[in-house]
Amino acid sequence: MIGDRLVASRCPRCQRMVVPPARICPDHAVRMEPGTVPAVGEVVSFTTLHSPPEGFRSPLHIALVELEGGARLFCHGDETRGFKIGTTVSVEEVDSVFYFSHMGFADRARLFWRRAGARGEKVASITKSLVKGAWKGRSSGES
Amino acid sequence: MNDVWIAGVGMTRFGKREESLPDLMAEAALAAMADARVDTPDTLVVAAMNPEEFTGEGNYGSLIATHLGLSRVPAIRVETATSSGLAAIYAGFAAIAAGLHRSVLVVGGEKMSHLPTPRVSEIIGRSIDAHERSYGSTMPALAGLITRAAMHRRGFTLKEISQVAVKNHAHGARNAYAHFQEPITLEAVMESRMVADPLRLFHCCPISDGAAALLLTAERGAVRIAGLGQGTDTMAVRYRTELTSFRATQVAADAAYRMAGFGPERVEVAELHDAFTSFELIALEDTGLVPSGKAGRATLDGETMIGGRLPVNPSGGLKARGHPLAGTGIAQLVELVWQLTGRAGGRQVEAHVGLAQSIGGLATNNWVAILEAPR
Repeated sequence: MIGDRLVASRCPRCQRMVVPPARICPDHAVRMEPGTVPAVGEVVSFTTLHSPPEGFRSPLHIALVELEGGARLFCHGDETRGFKIGTTVSVEEVDSVFYFSHMGFADRARLFWRRAGARGEKVASITKSLVKGAWKGRSSGES
Repeated sequence: MNDVWIAGVGMTRFGKREESLPDLMAEAALAAMADARVDTPDTLVVAAMNPEEFTGEGNYGSLIATHLGLSRVPAIRVETATSSGLAAIYAGFAAIAAGLHRSVLVVGGEKMSHLPTPRVSEIIGRSIDAHERSYGSTMPALAGLITRAAMHRRGFTLKEISQVAVKNHAHGARNAYAHFQEPITLEAVMESRMVADPLRLFHCCPISDGAAALLLTAERGAVRIAGLGQGTDTMAVRYRTELTSFRATQVAADAAYRMAGFGPERVEVAELHDAFTSFELIALEDTGLVPSGKAGRATLDGETMIGGRLPVNPSGGLKARGHPLAGTGIAQLVELVWQLTGRAGGRQVEAHVGLAQSIGGLATNNWVAILEAPR
């Protein structure tokens, strides 16, 4: 992660963004260029596995999230209670694994300020630390 | 291009089988050769998805040729994951259409029930993109994502998705070759164990052993391969912009209809890839057999039952007949041949044109075949 953006790659021909970055565009036989995308997106779909493969805890929550800009990625998360398709989530990368979390009031405020542009940086940095703390600490998040 | 005819068909009963994969393939192949009255084909095409991992044996073209007493017959193996059976038929079709050979034996199958289920899932799951697999994605997981999105965006209901299982089990109960030959109720489906929310156990096909075979020839016979098409998509599901339909099926169907010179309006029976029952609804619309948005309703109304307007999976489909991976695409054509030639016994439908659709991987490599019994 770089700030609140994720490392991505862009196809120089079709401008498509891919996360995590790939060497070659899925649709064109050309090398992709480095880029970043915002770590905020909408849930495209989600599922819960009750007998996940070896090495994963059960139940295993998996979501497919479409980030602003169109790149889609797979994420893990604590829970999907209260989830709907279209729910806005923030994505964090921890040890090369993406995690989704519900956007609480603080997250949405941060997003508002970031989009608004003004004074966004300060609000973002405060809420970001709050979000991180909340994410790691909680066992059942707000929904 | 030469016309390609199906001179003979054969298959084993699907399910938990004690025999080895070569023995299962031999049972199916000998039945197809006897049906065609051919004892030495010009060439042999073998379909097997993961025999190295499941059985520990490799070099499968030569292995099966030798096992069949056909070691002098040139043999190849073809693989496109779970659609390998139809890919092998494509290889045989192309050889005859091009005039390279006059007769081709195509045999495919899989043997996996001797291994623990998690091990089988892991081996099948290797056909999924590695990054997505690192998140614990299995075939049921990806199918769960697709099914939830399809319910949200296309309006499929859990009852419609569950009714596919009820219908295909009712069909399988009439098929002595089927893995499951018992009917199930809607309640049993909707209350079965949750596997990958919203998919439950009875929405998913079983792990089956078995093999199927057919003998292709350039000599005019009863049933012709009128159309055969392939369609592809990215390994990574996250690279696709459309989650609730399969481009690979749509492209394959378009190509098959173009070759046949007619469209879905002439299809009277279909075998579709219902590895997860929601996939039958998606396939009905992707192949144009049912107008967009109507597959669920058509299923609830009984249109796709034996006796309905368009019987779908009269064999029981992957859900009830079973799904021995590389055997499935061939078994679909075996069923269509039996249906088009009046040899389907207690599940016989009235049809001259049939369509088969087979999904490879998570719809990365799909095939559509159209068979016709000229009147």
